[in-house]
Amino acid sequence: MAKNFEISNNIRRLRFFANAMTQQELAEKAGVSRQTIIAVEAGKYSPSLELAFRIADAFGVKIGEVFDYQVKGDS
Amino acid sequence: MSILHYIPKGDFATSYQEKRTIVSIVTGALVLAAYCIYAFGQYQSGTVVPGDLKFWARTILIFIGIGIAASIVIQIVFHILLSIATAVKRKILDENIDDKEIEKSIEAEMVEDEMDKLIDLKSTRISFIFAGIGFVAALLSLIFNYPPEVMLNIMFISFSIGSLFEGFTQLYFYRKGIRNG
Repeated sequence: MAKNFEISNNIRRLRFFANAMTQQELAEKAGVSRQTIIAVEAGKYSPSLELAFRIADAFGVKIGEVFDYQVKGDS
Repeated sequence: MSILHYIPKGDFATSYQEKRTIVSIVTGALVLAAYCIYAFGQYQSGTVVPGDLKFWARTILIFIGIGIAASIVIQIVFHILLSIATAVKRKILDENIDDKEIEKSIEAEMVEDEMDKLIDLKSTRISFIFAGIGFVAALLSLIFNYPPEVMLNIMFISFSIGSLFEGFTQLYFYRKGIRNG
């Protein structure tokens, strides 16, 4: 039986420590709209693997430092 | 500056994609309302003979054309107005900003990415469900001995309402978020 995961992220914290990078600046670096960054940051949209790597690249960190997951039991 | 003060502003501001969807919904609703007023007005005034399928086919075709033309024109006007609004807003915030920077921010605002495509795909499914239900209802109307013009109207109106619901679904996904799978 597959397990349920909840994906969380540290984008807001990483933006703060990246000289208070704005959502617009991150959006431009990742090649998406600001709306998408807002949704990812709020946990309302799970990005594709490609976008997740691009976001991590924008901060110059590994993908695991941006995104994390917790097991929430069986589905 | 503490991390508590670093709360992003404008998280709930309407994005370009949402504004575009609202414009599409309003255009579609206006065209549908105009069709209902014209076509049913003609029918009630008695100028249309019952069973005159030519009138209904011609009217529906004309309104499909009007819908496409209105949609294109309104989207162009919307793009122009939004670009002007963005440029003015940037100029007010920073008087020394150059045109290239303004152009870049307009392009950044109008970019269509993977989330937009996913929302588009999921909301198109809603539109197809409505169109499918309308098609079945149209066939049922013939089985239950309703005139053929009723069938044509059910089909046209269900396609139009499906398109409106596609827009509402897009707005819902932009506000509530969307998951893959």
